[in-house]
Amino acid sequence: MAHKWGMAIDQDRCTGCGACVTACHAENNIPTVGASQAARGRAMHWIRVERYWEGEFPDVKLKFRPVMCQQCDAAPCEPVCPTYASHHTAEGLNAQVYNRCIGTRYCANACPYNVRFFDFFNPEWPRPLDAQLNPDVSIREVGVMEKCTFCVQRITAGEIQAEAEKRGVKDGEIQPACAQSCSARAIVFGDLNDPESAVSRLARQERGTKLLEELGTLPKITYLAKQTQA
Amino acid sequence: MSHVSHERLTADLLRPLEQTSWRFYLLVAFLGSIVAMGLGTWMYQMYMGFGMTGINMPVYWAFYITNFVFWIGISHAGTLISAILRLVNAGWRRPVTRCAEVITAFALMIGAMFPIIHLGRPWLFFWLMPYPSQRLIWPNFRSPLVWDFFAISTYLTGSLLFLFLPMIPDFALIRDRATGIRRRIYGVLALGWRGTTKQWHRLETAMQIMAIAIIPVAVSVHTIVSFDFSMAPVPMWHSTMFGPYFVAGAIFSGIAGLIIAMASLRKFLHLEAYLHPVHFENLGKLLLMMSMLWAYFIFAERLTTWFGNDTGEMNVFYVTQRGSFSPLYWTMVVCNLVIPFTILALRWLRTIAGCVVASFSVCIGMWLERFLIVVPSLSHKYLTYSWGHYRPQPVEIMITIATFAAMTLLYTLFSKFVPIISIWELKAGDHPSAALYPAPMHEHKLGETHA
Amino acid sequence: MSVYGLYDNGDAAQLAVDALRASGVTEDAITVISAEPMEDYEFGNINRRSRLWYIASAGGAAGCAGAAWLTRFTEVAWPLPTGNMPIVAWWPNLIVVFEMTMLGAILSTVAALVVTGGLARRRPALYDPAVSSGKILVGVEAPRDRAAVERALISAGSPVVSR
Repeated sequence: MAHKWGMAIDQDRCTGCGACVTACHAENNIPTVGASQAARGRAMHWIRVERYWEGEFPDVKLKFRPVMCQQCDAAPCEPVCPTYASHHTAEGLNAQVYNRCIGTRYCANACPYNVRFFDFFNPEWPRPLDAQLNPDVSIREVGVMEKCTFCVQRITAGEIQAEAEKRGVKDGEIQPACAQSCSARAIVFGDLNDPESAVSRLARQERGTKLLEELGTLPKITYLAKQTQA
Repeated sequence: MSHVSHERLTADLLRPLEQTSWRFYLLVAFLGSIVAMGLGTWMYQMYMGFGMTGINMPVYWAFYITNFVFWIGISHAGTLISAILRLVNAGWRRPVTRCAEVITAFALMIGAMFPIIHLGRPWLFFWLMPYPSQRLIWPNFRSPLVWDFFAISTYLTGSLLFLFLPMIPDFALIRDRATGIRRRIYGVLALGWRGTTKQWHRLETAMQIMAIAIIPVAVSVHTIVSFDFSMAPVPMWHSTMFGPYFVAGAIFSGIAGLIIAMASLRKFLHLEAYLHPVHFENLGKLLLMMSMLWAYFIFAERLTTWFGNDTGEMNVFYVTQRGSFSPLYWTMVVCNLVIPFTILALRWLRTIAGCVVASFSVCIGMWLERFLIVVPSLSHKYLTYSWGHYRPQPVEIMITIATFAAMTLLYTLFSKFVPIISIWELKAGDHPSAALYPAPMHEHKLGETHA
Repeated sequence: MSVYGLYDNGDAAQLAVDALRASGVTEDAITVISAEPMEDYEFGNINRRSRLWYIASAGGAAGCAGAAWLTRFTEVAWPLPTGNMPIVAWWPNLIVVFEMTMLGAILSTVAALVVTGGLARRRPALYDPAVSSGKILVGVEAPRDRAAVERALISAGSPVVSR
C-alpha cells in the first residue's frame, strides 16, 4: 500500500525553541532575507513557530504552534496554479515544482495557512556560507514559490534505500529536518496509512485537532492540544 | 443627425486626420515620455527582482491586480454602448459607438499586460497558452488564471474585430480622398471595400452577429476575472455574488470612462455638432443607474457578511469599515455613490461638465473599490498570526501612472489616424431600414384626427 | 467592360435600377455602390439573404467541440491530481468551452464576411471614387446588350461612363 505521509505536533511538548526553523533553513537551502526584508514581511520560514500568550508577566500562559505546509488532501493551492507547479503526489504530498512555477502567487493567496513563500530576489550565500548548502535540494531562483515539502528529498532517499534492501520503510526511519532536530520530540512524522505507526496513534488521540478544519482542506497534520498550563 | 450636411460631416470628421497642431505633438511627447518611464520601470523591476514591489507575505497581490481588474472593467464601456445599443436600435448610439469601442480595445490591451507584469517570471507567461510544448505539459484548465487567458483573448479578439469591421467603409472613404503612401495604407486597411449592396448587407449582418456574440463574452470576462478571487478560500473573497457584482462594477466604470473620453473629444476635436448634450444626459442617466446598482451590490454583500458574523470575514469587514482601511473605504463610497448621485440626479447639474466630474469621481472610486477587494482580505486571512500590511512602492506607482498615460496616448494617436466618429454610420442614420421602424398603425399617426 | 452611371440621390438611383430591370438585366448583374447603406430604398434591399448566421453557428459549434476535446484530451494525457478535484473536471472545462464557442462564432463570421463580401479580391472590380462624395453608382459589369443598358441609365438622368 502506498504511503500517506503525515505529522503529529504535540503542543504540550513544544518549547518554542526554534530549532526546527533553523534545521529547516539548513536542510532546504532556504535563504535568510536580511533584517530589512524580514521587517517588510518577506521572511521565508517554511516552518514558523507561532507564539500565543495570555496575561502579563510573570503570570503569562504561553502556547507555541509550529506551522508548516499542511499537505492538504483537498489543497486549495493546487487547482489554482495555471501551470501545475502545485499538484498532489501519489503519497499524499503537495508537490511544488519550481521549474513550472511562473510566479502568479495565486497558490499563496489560496492557502489559508499562509505557508507559501515567494522568492523576491535571487538568493545569495556569500562565501563560505555556500559550503553549507545541501546538494540534495535545488536552489530556487527569483520569481518562484516555495514551501515545506516534508523534506521530500529525505523521504525519497529513505524509500530508495528501503527498496535497495528489499524491505519496507520502517516507522521513524524517515525524519524531516524539523522532526529530527526537535529537542522535545514534539514533531512526529510517519505513514498515516500504517495504523500502527507513531503518527497514526497520535493522530487518534482525543486532544488532536486539525488547523482550520472547517475550511475543508483536509490537512494531514494533527495538532495535539496543550494540556498543561505553564 | 441630418442637421449637418453630409459634406460638412465628412469634412469635420476627417479634419483631425488632415490637420495637426503643435499641441498634438506636445501631448504625444508628454504622454510618450511617461509611458517610456513606465516601461523602463518594468524593465528595472524584472532586472532587480520582484522584490522592488511592495508585495509581501501574505499580501501577494496588490497594485498590479487592482489595475488589471480596473482596466478590464473600463473595457466594458464599448461592449455596452456599441453592442447593446446596436441591438436595441437606439439611434443615439451612432456618434458614440466608435469612441466606446476604442476604449474597449485599448483598455483590454492595457489590462491584459498586468497579468504579465505581476508574474514572478514574466518571460514564461506563454506557459498559460495551450500549445503542444516540449515539456509535454498543458495548462491547468481548472485554474481561474487559465480561464482568464481564454476569456481575455476571446474578448480582445472579438473587440478588435468589432472595432475594425465598421472602420472598413471609413478607410475606403479616406483612401479615395488620399494620395501617395496614405492612399496605399488606407487602401490595404479598407481591404476590397466598394460599398455594393451585398457588402453592406454582409457587413451589417456580421455586426449584428458580433454584437450578439460579444455581449455574453463581455459578461463572462469580468465574471471570470471575479473568479480569480471567489475561487480562493479567503475571507470576503469566497462570495457567490462576485460574478454579477464585478460585471455591474465594470459597466459602471466603463460608462464613466466613456463620458470622460467623449467630453475630451468633443472639446479638443470640436465635435460639438455631433456629440450633443443629450448624449451626455443619456449616458449620465445610465451612470446614475449603475451607481444605484453598485450601491445595491455593496449593501447586499456587507449586510450578508455582517449578519453571518463569520469570524474571519468580520475581521476584514471591520478593518475596511472602521480600521486602517476605513479612510479609503469611505472615500470610495463618497466617490461612487454620494458625488455621482448628487450630480446626476439633479437635472440642472447633469450638464456635460457635471457628467465629467461625476465620471472622474467614479473612476477614482472604482479603482479604490478594486484595491479594497484585494488588499484588506489578503492582509487579514484566517490565521491571525500571519496578518500583514501593504505599502505601494515607487515601481508600482510609476507603472500605474504609466498605464493611464498609455491609455490617453493610444486614444490620441487613434483619433489622429482614424475618424473617431463613424462617418458612414452617421450618414446611415438618415436611411433607416424599414424593418427597424414598423409603419405606424393608422390610428396612431401623429396629428391626425378622425372625422 | 462595365457600364455605369452616377446619380445624385436615392430616388434617381431607384429609377435607374428599375429602368435596368425593365430593359431585361437580371438583378444579379446589377451593381449598386453607395457610401452608406441605403436601406430605406428598395434597391438597397437586393441581395439580402445570406448564410452568415449559419456560418456563425457552425463556427461556434466547431469552437465548442474543439474546446471540449482540448480540455478533456490534455487533462487525460498527463493526469495530475489537484485539490481533490477529478482529473477531467467538467465544471471548469465548461468555461473554456464557452469562450472557445464564442471565439469560433466570431472568427467564422469575420472570415465569412471577408470571403462572401469579396473583401480579399485582388482583381480590380467596378468602382468610382465619386461614390465617396455621395454619388450612387448604378451599373452592369459585363453587359450583354450595351445599348439597352446605356439607354436605361441615361433615362434615369446620368451621363454614362464606361470602364
